[in-house]
This record gives sequence, structure tokens and C-alpha cells, in this order.
Amino acid sequence: MIELRSVTKVFPGGARAVDNVSLQIHQGEFCVLLGPSGCGKTTTLKMINRLVPLTAGEIHVGDRDIRSLRVTDLRRRIGYAIQEVGLFPHMTVAQNIAIVPRLLGWPAARRRARAHDLLELLGLTPADDYLRRYPAELSGGQRQRVGVARALGADPAILLMDEPFGAIDPITRERLQDEFLRIQNEIRKTVVFVTHDIHEAIKLGDRVALMRDGRLVQHAPPAQLLSQPADDFVRGFVGTDRTLKSLRLTAVRDVMGASPARARIGDTLVAAREAMDKLGKTVLPVADDEDTFVGWISRTVATGSGLVGARVIPYLVLGSPGMPLNEALALMLESATGQLAIVDDERRLVGLVTFETLFERVRRPPEPPSASEVQP
Amino acid sequence: MISTTWRYLGENWAYVGQLVVEHLRIVFLANGLAVVLGLALGIFIAKRGREALAELVLYTAGILLTIPSLALYGILMAILDALGLVSIGLVPVVIALTLYGLLPILRNTTTALRSTDPATLEAGRGMGMSEAQLLWRVRVPLAVPAVMAGLRQAMVMNVGIAAIGAYIGAGGLGQLIFRGIANTRADLVLAGALCVSLLAVGLDLALGALERLATPRGIRKEARR
Repeated sequence: MIELRSVTKVFPGGARAVDNVSLQIHQGEFCVLLGPSGCGKTTTLKMINRLVPLTAGEIHVGDRDIRSLRVTDLRRRIGYAIQEVGLFPHMTVAQNIAIVPRLLGWPAARRRARAHDLLELLGLTPADDYLRRYPAELSGGQRQRVGVARALGADPAILLMDEPFGAIDPITRERLQDEFLRIQNEIRKTVVFVTHDIHEAIKLGDRVALMRDGRLVQHAPPAQLLSQPADDFVRGFVGTDRTLKSLRLTAVRDVMGASPARARIGDTLVAAREAMDKLGKTVLPVADDEDTFVGWISRTVATGSGLVGARVIPYLVLGSPGMPLNEALALMLESATGQLAIVDDERRLVGLVTFETLFERVRRPPEPPSASEVQP
Repeated sequence: MISTTWRYLGENWAYVGQLVVEHLRIVFLANGLAVVLGLALGIFIAKRGREALAELVLYTAGILLTIPSLALYGILMAILDALGLVSIGLVPVVIALTLYGLLPILRNTTTALRSTDPATLEAGRGMGMSEAQLLWRVRVPLAVPAVMAGLRQAMVMNVGIAAIGAYIGAGGLGQLIFRGIANTRADLVLAGALCVSLLAVGLDLALGALERLATPRGIRKEARR
């Protein structure tokens, strides 16, 4: 969909901002350009829509050399969102979103319907209320959403985003990222996304292109970037806590021991002790007759005789199958037993995560789906 | 003396009214021209790469403003005369006031056009707007409040300067003042001065209201939260 062939940018004055970068971005792929400031990631992005003319090399967008198109035609086919948003302050939200449709000559009714749909897609509802507002009447997060809606205005196949969530408070940023992932799952655009935030890159990207001093250092799926950094620079950039970061890429359901051994509240303590001995465990989750998780039984409390129900240690935290492992780990640290019970919506026990599960995961990271594409 | 001034104005209201109309005609003609010229020239010199030219034009307009009005009338009369054109009355006065009005309008237009938020421009370019579309759909609408403020300044200033135009036969409220001076009639001088001042204040208020109306709704201050 987008192909960069030996692209180089030398600015007047001699600064080599981008140096011989080749990159292929497939249709529907979410590609993150990552790197420290001054690494050339933004310049690379802006060469795709010709905001920055390239010095050498070629860029193809959907089989066409970008220089074979009129520059305004090229840009109207490519959505563009930036950190500063740059909404037009004298235009309403509706007019802002409809800028490219208007340039393309869409009739007014279609423009309005499109703006309405996009506001709903981005969660700015009731859309009719927002359509009439001016940028000055929106919060920072709302402006950023309108900026994304505007980039999607004429339904382009490609979206270029330059740190679009960079200037927003961490909580809103996290939410916008989640929402954007949901939207991307729905609309499947080819996205090129610039950020200097490794967390954001890992969370959003199908593949991450890490740049340094104008060169492409490694282009790989996030899991591979974390588990097999190409060199010391990548290792340093992803951080010493890369193991922790990699946990975010896996959901609990993929590693949890399914249908774990459990004690019932109606079991005798003697039976529970025997079960723990047999399984070599010191703690067991306890479920009631409907299989609802109620707490824990441990060797230290399961002394004497009687029923398990009388000695249950109440649980403090619960996990769910869709939760990423980093969150599961955080909860485990708060759990009385150092284990996390995974329950479904009816609080039925469906799995268990222990530290052993996590060790196992960290020692054997998931295989990347495609072969390595490390650039020289 | 105040009472004789009042009596004069009361007895000669039709004549004074006619002078007000003449006065306004001069001011409106000149400032109409100044706005058109100022906008066109402002847009021209605000383009990137014309910073040196802009400096020169603004400097020249600033110099023009320092020439005393009587001297400027004299210079213009000489030039018009040499060109074989009408060198007395309305024409040189309107030209002089246009030149005076140019500076505030030109300066405000140029500054406003240059200070469009770079992010807004980058977003516009990135979405595929041409430079002309950016100018007419974004930069000029956003510059309207500044242009209007410049026009207002020019208008108020020119109401005063126009009074001196009566000296070279352009008519207007200056006639009252000059007749009063010639005949040592302080009540006439005061009547003229009073009318000129009221006119200036009235125009200032009216243009202030127009400025608010002409400002795009999204950038009016009261629209912000």
C-alpha cells in the first residue's frame, strides 16, 4: 500500500534527516514510526504526503509514485492528523470535518451525514450537538477526536498521524488509544503513526519501525522488538523493563491454566489438605456449588476438621480473561495468595494465573507471526 | 460662548447637516479606498519570502503618516497639477486621507495574515488545500478582526484630518472652523470642533459594533468557554 524505496532527505544546510530508508507498509496495517526526537520519523511521515519533498529515492502509494499525482490530489486521498490538531477556529465542528469532502465537491447533505457518522464513531455524542460547536467550545480531548474525525473525513484508505495523542493528559490519552484501536479494528485503514512513546508504539502498532539518526534500525512486530532487539540502541530504547512491557502484549486467556483444580465450600478440610498434597500446592481457589469463585483455602488455614466453607480466605482482587498480563501481574501483587483467579462475567472460576505462568511466558515469548524483517 | 454655539447649531442645522454629509463622504471615500488597497497590498506583502518588501512598504506607510496634512495636500496638489488633473478640492484630500489610512490597515492585515497558527496552516496543507484556498478560506477570515480594528483606527484618525481639507476647498466641517478663525468667531470654531469630535466618537462606536459582527463566530471572545 505504501512503499518507501531508499528514501533520503537532506535539508538545505546539509542536515541529513532521513538516510536511505526503505519500508513497506501493507494495506490495513498499523505501522508505528518510533524513535527519539530528531530521528527523522516525522520527516519520513511528511514525505509520504509531500509536505516535505524528498531528496532521493521513491515513495509509492497504492502503486503510484507520489510525484506522478498533483500534490493536492495526493493529500486529499490521505488523512492527516497532527499533535496540535490545527482545527480551523472560525469553522464549526461540522465544517471542519467536511473540509476534504468539500474540496472534493461532495454535496452538502452528504457532507453533513458523513460528519454526523464520524462524530458517532469517535464517541462525540449526541453528534448533532457537537456538529454546531466551535473548536473553542471543546476540551483538549474532544478537539483531538474531532481532529481524527477530520482526517477520516473523505474516508481515505491511508491515515498519517503525527503524535496525535501526544499533548493530552495520560488518562485521556490511554482512553483515546483504546478507542482508536477499536475504531481501527472496524475501519482497517493503512495507518502510519509517529510517536516517541514506546508504550504507545507497542500498544497500537502491528509493526514498529524504530529509527535513529535518520536510519531505520529495526522494523518488526512489537513482540519481536521487545524479545529480539536488533542492537544495543534498540535494547536501550525499549528499556530495561522490556520484559514488563512485553507482558502487555499477551491476554490472560492465552496463558491461564484452564479449569484449574479447586476446592468446594462443601468439601471437608481433610479432603482439601489431601488435594493440596496430591497437587503439590499450598493454595487452592474455592468455588461454591454453582462454581462461583468465593475465595482461597491454604494449608496454613486448613487445619483441624470441618468444612472448607468455614475457613475460606476472602479474595481481594479478580482477573478477567481479556486482561493483559501486565495488569494481571499488578493485581497478583495485591492478592493475598500471590495468585489471580480468572472469572467470567458470572464470576465463575475459569482460570488461574500464578507467577509460574508469568515466568514461563517471559522465558518463552510468543513467536512473531511473520518472519523477521530486520533492516540492515 | 457655549450658548451662542448652541444657538448657531440650532439655527443652521440644515447647513451643518450638509457639512456633516460632505465630511462623511470624504472620510468614507478615502477609507473605502484604503481598505481595498490595504487588503490587497497586505495580502501581497504578507506572502512568505517577501519579508524585506513588507518592511519597506510598512516603513514607507509609516513615513507618510508623519507628513503634516497641509504639507501633504500641497505636495499632492503640485503632483496632480503637473499631471494636468484636478488639483484642488475633493481629489487631493481623498488621496491624502487614503495614504494616511493605509498604515493601520496595512500593518494589521500583514501582522494578522502572518500570525495564523502554523498548526492550522499545516493541517490545511496536509489535507490538500491549495495556497489560494488557505488564504481565502482560512487566513483572511481569521484576519478579519484585525483588519476591522485597523479600519476603525484609520477612520477615527481621518475624521480629524479631513477637517483641514476645507482649507483646499474639499468642504466638510472644516469650513466652520476656518470661517470662525477668519472672522474671529469662536462659536463657529467650537461648533465645527464639536461636530468633528462627535462624528469621530460616533464612527468609533459604530465600527466597534461592526467589528464584532464581522468577526467569525468561532473566534469571538464570548464564544470561548
